[in-house]
Amino acid sequence: MKKEDTVKLISAEGMEFVIDKEAAMVSQTIRNMLTSPGGFAEAEHGEVTFPEISAVILEKICQYFYWSLQYSRGKETEFHIEPELTLELMMAANYLHT
Amino acid sequence: MSNQKKKNFQIEAFKHRVVVDPKYAEKTWSILEHAIHEIYNHNASGLSFEELYRNAYNMVLHKFGEKLYSGLVATMTAHLKEISKSIEAAQGDLFLEELNRKWNDHNKALQMIRDILMYMDRTYIPNTHKTPVHELGLNLWRDNVIHSSKIQSRLLSMLLELVHRERTGEVIDRGLMRNIIKMLMDLGSSVYQEDFEKPFLEVSAEFYMGESQKFIECCDCGDYLKKAELRLNEEIERVTHYLDVKSEVKITNVVEKEMIANHMMRLVHMENSGLVNMLLDDKYEDLGRMYNLFRRVPNGLSTIRDVMTSHLREIGKQLVTDAEKLRDPVEFVQRLLDEKDKYDSIISQAFSNDKTFQNALNSSFEYFINLNNRSPEFISLYVDDKLRKGLKGVSEEDVEIILDKVMMLFRYLQEKDVFEKYYKQHLAKRLLSGKTVSDDAERSLIVKLKTECGYQFTSKLEGMFTDMKTSQDTMQGFYASHPELTDGPTLVVQVLTTGSWPTQPSITCNLPAEMSALCEKFRSYYLGTHTGRRLSWQTNMGTADIKATFGKGQKHELNVSTYQMCVLMLFNNADRLSYKEVEQATGIPASDLKRCLQSMACVKGKNVLRKEPMSKDIGEDDAFFVNDKFTSKFYKVKIGTVVAQKESEPEKQETRQRVEEDRKPQIEAAIVRIMKSRRVLDHNNIIAEVTKQLQSRFLANPTEIKKRIESLIERDFLERDNNDRKLYRYLA
Repeated sequence: MKKEDTVKLISAEGMEFVIDKEAAMVSQTIRNMLTSPGGFAEAEHGEVTFPEISAVILEKICQYFYWSLQYSRGKETEFHIEPELTLELMMAANYLHT
Repeated sequence: MSNQKKKNFQIEAFKHRVVVDPKYAEKTWSILEHAIHEIYNHNASGLSFEELYRNAYNMVLHKFGEKLYSGLVATMTAHLKEISKSIEAAQGDLFLEELNRKWNDHNKALQMIRDILMYMDRTYIPNTHKTPVHELGLNLWRDNVIHSSKIQSRLLSMLLELVHRERTGEVIDRGLMRNIIKMLMDLGSSVYQEDFEKPFLEVSAEFYMGESQKFIECCDCGDYLKKAELRLNEEIERVTHYLDVKSEVKITNVVEKEMIANHMMRLVHMENSGLVNMLLDDKYEDLGRMYNLFRRVPNGLSTIRDVMTSHLREIGKQLVTDAEKLRDPVEFVQRLLDEKDKYDSIISQAFSNDKTFQNALNSSFEYFINLNNRSPEFISLYVDDKLRKGLKGVSEEDVEIILDKVMMLFRYLQEKDVFEKYYKQHLAKRLLSGKTVSDDAERSLIVKLKTECGYQFTSKLEGMFTDMKTSQDTMQGFYASHPELTDGPTLVVQVLTTGSWPTQPSITCNLPAEMSALCEKFRSYYLGTHTGRRLSWQTNMGTADIKATFGKGQKHELNVSTYQMCVLMLFNNADRLSYKEVEQATGIPASDLKRCLQSMACVKGKNVLRKEPMSKDIGEDDAFFVNDKFTSKFYKVKIGTVVAQKESEPEKQETRQRVEEDRKPQIEAAIVRIMKSRRVLDHNNIIAEVTKQLQSRFLANPTEIKKRIESLIERDFLERDNNDRKLYRYLA
């Protein structure tokens, strides 16, 4: 996988997730970060730090990105969410505009 | 977030974090404000998108949206004021470039700002009905830069100046122009229209008004149109290069109005180069240009059409009424056809086959062809000429083309029945003298007439062909039953059905004894096979081939008419005959006899008779001899055959009278047909219907129709209504 095609997402604890840009851009917010003109730090280094999102949530989010890419259109499959994560995930979703 | 529906789920209810720091908002905003400055200073690379986004997100989340929004407006306004100053400071031509550069900067900055403030755009702005960030940025740019007093007028005058320079042939920076115009369009269509388009159109109108005035004074019509077309194309091109597509219609309207509509009449009637001259000189290119340009303006085409029509009518009127040109009917018709061809090709090549022009052409022809009441006769004569000799060596397709053209002229005729009358006469002469060149062509024309006017029109003409065919069979039968007749003179009889053929007063002449014996034999043969018929001889329509030996033994075969044959045969028994003797012996009517003697005694090269005294005309006291000195290069000599000629004045009157006579029953039949279905109808409607019904044959005269109605009333077909005298009732 080429470096240009991936992006590194860093959680509040410093946990790093490297995923496809295509998947990350499921989030409108991340898409803007990476494509906005003028070259923000994120676009330049290919990494985004989320000081307010924990590793557990971020992991779930990454899973969701890939699930969304594959299934969101058409196929009726469930994306499993543990009840205890619901609230935090929803906040993150609002933040990430997903 | 497991599915899209949950996107709008609001989480404000969860006050999970209480903001303790009262300066929180101030602090966060100052971070963002700083970022905006950096962005405008092209210094964004060090900024963290996530951090800025998160700050804006939190500000909105914690109900500081208002502060964020107003802060943004204030900061951006301040920046734009700066920018506006730097643009104002730009000198001369650099002004537009500076404006363009700053505009690009602003656009880029605006996009970045919108991206980091996206959360506000998404939640705060729709809820409070404020202007979204992007639009806000454009509005601020418009108000602070474009509408700043020092920029607005300068920008407009520079743009117009550039357009003007391009119009006068200079090369300008179209890319820059396009960007600036694009900027105005991006700021909203009202900005484009108010700040550029409207003044642009005004200035253009002024420019073209002046230019067209200049051109029209010094150019002829063709050149002027060329220039107008050029200008029009230039404007269209300009629009595609750097204006809004919607402006195309507007600017072309301006050019059309100033350069064409305002000068239309002057152009069309321009001396020595106007429309009439173009038509006369077949200037297809100029005409096509005029058509394409005038089509764009209201009443443009009708102006061309009217001028063309009146010109055509004028020309046509001269053509059909000029006594000089009426002398030769064939020439006359040919001239009409040439004129038609000319205009057909003008319409097809220059007026893109416009239907309305074709109609105008047709109606003009119809108008002037019917101005001359001899047109039907002449057209028939033209056909006669073509079918007699004109079609020799012409391919079948060309024959068709000629016939089609004739049919076209025929269609214009109002008095189609007059044509029929003449055509019948001419066809009869052709058939009887065996002069028709092509049977196929004859039949083809009949078929065409049939499709045009129906079975009724041609049934008699077809009857004539049938008669010719049956006559051939009859003659074969006759000679088969009289084998003894192989010696001596032969007789060819054509049995014509009365009614199908043009009626001719049948004046019999005294045939030579040999012939009358033969005729008697045929009569008894024919009446033997067909009982109940009556045969009468039309000697005035026949021809004869006779062998003659002259003084020094020259032998010739003479092709003569029956009358001439009768006269010549007399000289078998006499050397000298006076006019009176000839008249008595043959019984030929005086006028025919004179003509027949003249053709044999007075025409050089054909003078088989000698006359005393020598003169051009036949007198009642003249005497005739066989011309022993007759010589000819040819063995066969054709003498004065029946050639269809233009009718003389009295003949014409007679034909006309006969036509009028024939029309009466047709009008009556039409009236009866109409009344039978309508039962009751008032006078005007009858006239209208009858005229309509008979249109395909002739133009019925209202007074004649009235006479026919009266005649029908007398004969108890119709009656007048007792109360309303204008109403007629059908009685049956």
